[in-house]
Amino acid sequence: MRSLRGSTALIIVALGMVLMAVSFFLLGAPIGFPPSGVEHSNPRVPFAPAFFILGVIIVFLAPVLYELYPGER
Amino acid sequence: MTAETEKRELPLGVGRITKGWILFIGFSVVVLAFGIYAYSVQFTQGEIATGMRDLGTMGGATWGLYITMAIYFVGVSFAGITVAAFIRLTAQAYLKPLARMAEVLTVVALILGALSIMADLGQPIRGIVNLFMYARPQSPFFGTVTLVLTGYLYASVVYLYLDGRRDAGILARVPSRLRWFHRLWAAGYKDTPKEKERHKRTNFWMSVAVIPLLVIAHSTLGFVFGLQVGRPGWYSALQAPAFVILAGISGLGHLIIFAAIVRTRLNQRKRLNMDVFSWMGKFMLALLLIYVYFLIVDHLTSTFTAREEELRVFNAVLWGEYAWIYWLSVATLAIPLLILARQFFAKKWNIGWLVVSGFLVNVAAIGKRYLIVVPSQTYGGLLPYAVGSYSPTWVEYGTIIGIFALGAILFGIFAKTFPIMHLQEKHEGGA
Repeated sequence: MRSLRGSTALIIVALGMVLMAVSFFLLGAPIGFPPSGVEHSNPRVPFAPAFFILGVIIVFLAPVLYELYPGER
Repeated sequence: MTAETEKRELPLGVGRITKGWILFIGFSVVVLAFGIYAYSVQFTQGEIATGMRDLGTMGGATWGLYITMAIYFVGVSFAGITVAAFIRLTAQAYLKPLARMAEVLTVVALILGALSIMADLGQPIRGIVNLFMYARPQSPFFGTVTLVLTGYLYASVVYLYLDGRRDAGILARVPSRLRWFHRLWAAGYKDTPKEKERHKRTNFWMSVAVIPLLVIAHSTLGFVFGLQVGRPGWYSALQAPAFVILAGISGLGHLIIFAAIVRTRLNQRKRLNMDVFSWMGKFMLALLLIYVYFLIVDHLTSTFTAREEELRVFNAVLWGEYAWIYWLSVATLAIPLLILARQFFAKKWNIGWLVVSGFLVNVAAIGKRYLIVVPSQTYGGLLPYAVGSYSPTWVEYGTIIGIFALGAILFGIFAKTFPIMHLQEKHEGGA
């Protein structure tokens, strides 16, 4: 059975990945043609790139949490 | 003095401030101050203080030395983390002394790359805010901001932090002025068998995760140029892979130089032995051969029944205004190639010649980055504008030299606060 430490780390990785995917495909500018059009240029939600970055940060926070998670040494 | 408060010497020169180090840092601080002054001139007068001008109507280049150096620095970072991850994944114990150096090289180079981009922006704050607010996922710039300058930098810092915890835990047992710092870094690490196992597992998975991230990140940087269909000289399928390969070459060059300095200054001839240097030499030779192949293929493809605009850029680079940079870059690639090939076939490696090769490939890398960035802007327009020109001003040179000095300071400070190589078993009881 996976430890609570491992499960927490995996959940955090999954959360980060979901945030990255959502911000890229749903919050960012719609992917479509012509790409130079206004409707395909601006993000649907401002700061969508910042959310994507947050996703990357959360993913790489998982190993830190995995190592620093309080418990048996 | 009690045993607890007695200060003991830390391994690998940590905490030992020497005259040479003070001189090195002092000189770097002076150069950095000059760089800050140069940038302040640009910040107060605007980008008119630089050699950059608009394309076409103003006959200039909007990307110049800063972007050249940004690409160069990000490239240098590539080899660092690649080498560190490779050592973890393949469990090459004899290469382990290189890992920490490589990780620090990556983090420092990425910071310098980010600063070079900041220097390029007329309004840095506005640029940062807008990129975080509006960057478009389909644009390679999105990847450059999100993956290279934030994700990649952050992942590299995490990698360095976790990798250093064990050593921090060992140093935290030694009474010293830096004990608080090592305790903070160790965050309770006691090196128990379970912690060791976890540490090993985390490092392995971090290595697995970092490699695709860095390949995507570096390719994205190549796409910034390679996807521009309307810019002769840039539009090429080979831009991204060539970026990655040249990045590896320049980063390895740096790593060879740093390893040689550490070997001499810290008297680490046993750990940083000829096996380590010959491995770096062979790796760099392989990458150089691949890059030369790319170079030839790219030239043949871009000139074979090429359009007039494509040939104009090509001629300017090979025989015109930029020829001296091009041939200097070719020479500084060819010479290391010959040096390394000779050593490879003779099966005899010389550190001095490896350092020379490491330096030369970096001259070539800066030259090649410049040739990627500038000529396509000055000679590669599809609209009927006259040929443009670009020459960096002292402000740009000063700012870049200052950024280099900052890198030297960061590296120097790190080497005095934390072991630049992994600690061996003999250090585990303290120094």
